[in-house]
Amino acid sequence: MSETIVEVRDLWHSHLRGTPLETVALRGAELQIASDDLIALMGHTGSGKSTLVQHLNGLLRPHQGSVKVFGQDLGDRKLDARPLRQMVGIVFQQPEQQLFDPTVGDDIAFGPRQLRCTPEEVRRRVRTAMERVGLGFEAFKDRYTFGLSGGEMRRVALAGVLALEPRLLVLDEPTAGLDPRGRAQLLSSLRALHADAGIAVVIVSHDMDVVAELARRVWVLAEGRTVMHGSVREIFARVDELRELRLGIPQVSELAHELRKAGRQVPADVLTVDELAEALWTNSTSRAG
Amino acid sequence: MDEFDFARGVTVGQYVPGSSILHRLDPRAKLGGFVIVLAAVITTSSYLGNAVALASVIGIVILSGIPLGYVLSGVRPIIPILVIFTIFNFLFLGNYDPTGSPVIWRQQLAVGPYEFAFTVTENSMKQTVQGVVRIISLILLTSVLTLTTTITSLAKGIELLLAPFRRIKVPGHEIAMVFAIAYRFVPTVADELERLMKAQASRGADFGRPGRFQFAKRARQLVPITVPLFVGAFRRAERLIMAMESRCYVGGAGRTPISLPRLALRDWASLAAALAFTLAIWNVPWPA
Repeated sequence: MSETIVEVRDLWHSHLRGTPLETVALRGAELQIASDDLIALMGHTGSGKSTLVQHLNGLLRPHQGSVKVFGQDLGDRKLDARPLRQMVGIVFQQPEQQLFDPTVGDDIAFGPRQLRCTPEEVRRRVRTAMERVGLGFEAFKDRYTFGLSGGEMRRVALAGVLALEPRLLVLDEPTAGLDPRGRAQLLSSLRALHADAGIAVVIVSHDMDVVAELARRVWVLAEGRTVMHGSVREIFARVDELRELRLGIPQVSELAHELRKAGRQVPADVLTVDELAEALWTNSTSRAG
Repeated sequence: MDEFDFARGVTVGQYVPGSSILHRLDPRAKLGGFVIVLAAVITTSSYLGNAVALASVIGIVILSGIPLGYVLSGVRPIIPILVIFTIFNFLFLGNYDPTGSPVIWRQQLAVGPYEFAFTVTENSMKQTVQGVVRIISLILLTSVLTLTTTITSLAKGIELLLAPFRRIKVPGHEIAMVFAIAYRFVPTVADELERLMKAQASRGADFGRPGRFQFAKRARQLVPITVPLFVGAFRRAERLIMAMESRCYVGGAGRTPISLPRLALRDWASLAAALAFTLAIWNVPWPA
């Protein structure tokens, strides 16, 4: 049974508030996340995506509006956000740059140790986290962190957050800078996390192909405001609006759009190569027949 | 105040665009004036003289058109250091006072085999108070210099000021380049620090529980920050070297400027004002 775990209403936030360099990043953003959600948050550079997600575990506090996460009101200045940071794990952009311990196992164990878990519990959490991101525990736990490949380091960083056993996982541009194989591995890990471990997942991305491949629902930000939300099919069918927001659409949707303009009968909401092929095939066979 | 909002506290190395007289001055005049006023601020040795120096520096800040509160907030990060500096100077400086000025307060304290002596003399008191005022003046003055000058123009100013010394092998261009690069990365590193603290907090790190003055505990907590920060700094440095080499950067040799700006009347006037101010500070017989 799904319940609402995050509720953001009319959120405003400025950077460098009270200085001559102040800039407003959020002007009334909205967001709702359910406990079984798999969401993508999209928007052009500077649309406030990263600022918005930093409110979800209390790294930033609302300047105006309300943020409720797991029933806790982050507008309350006296609220201690630290317990919340266990339940909401945020993986920042280029998370491989936040690794600091020479061995992989110790780096991932940082979180559980901070929580004062027993050594057995730390070990169990590290093992589970590593397996969830596809790093073998025995093979990798004593490897030298800074000698790993970029994709492996990113998975170590992800495991470091998973070791806190969050119920909501937020990833900021998780696939940026990865090669196609690293990207595919990461996406399948995320899909498994959502399906098997029951973790709600939010990805912040402007790679439309990643969004189409992974997300079920999409929220779109522009200039600090939420301008669209809906299922991934609904959103990518609104091609012209997305273009106006200077956002792309997945390559397959793009192709489908062009084909439709050229007079072929293709549904507006195709997302995958297979779907498009299927549609074209039935189309041409029905015409032939 | 947000928990991780550091960039707000760093005013040195920021630049705030504006059109005040300070913004429009030639960087050479600004640097020259800065050094001249600096000499007055750090050499005057009376309560009144220091107060006048601080007031004048605040006057310069107001002239720049940048909100005074913002410039003053640059002092906040060093308050712990100032407090410790003040306590130690206040308690111990009088022990080693060779001037024989009158003793205001003296206390002997024996803890086990150790003996401590605390002495406050009129002279040590004055030095303590002056030290704090001077540091604050220095920070304000340096902040206002960088807040009103872009890095490129500051570097150009340094290069031009050092140009006459090339004959005695002073590498003016290189010094300016080193300075510009170092300065350029202050805000970058501050941003990165903030990002790293947020990232580590998101995986369980706990900053801010020990008080401002529990240094050992704070230091231990900072390992997950300092290691990636240094790794990042080295990586950035290497990239920068690559970028410079691939554009055939060889230093200042054979390089000619596209324009040679002349000092305007306002530049000479501001230099003269700075000089007059410093001479005045030096020559007024401040009481005590």
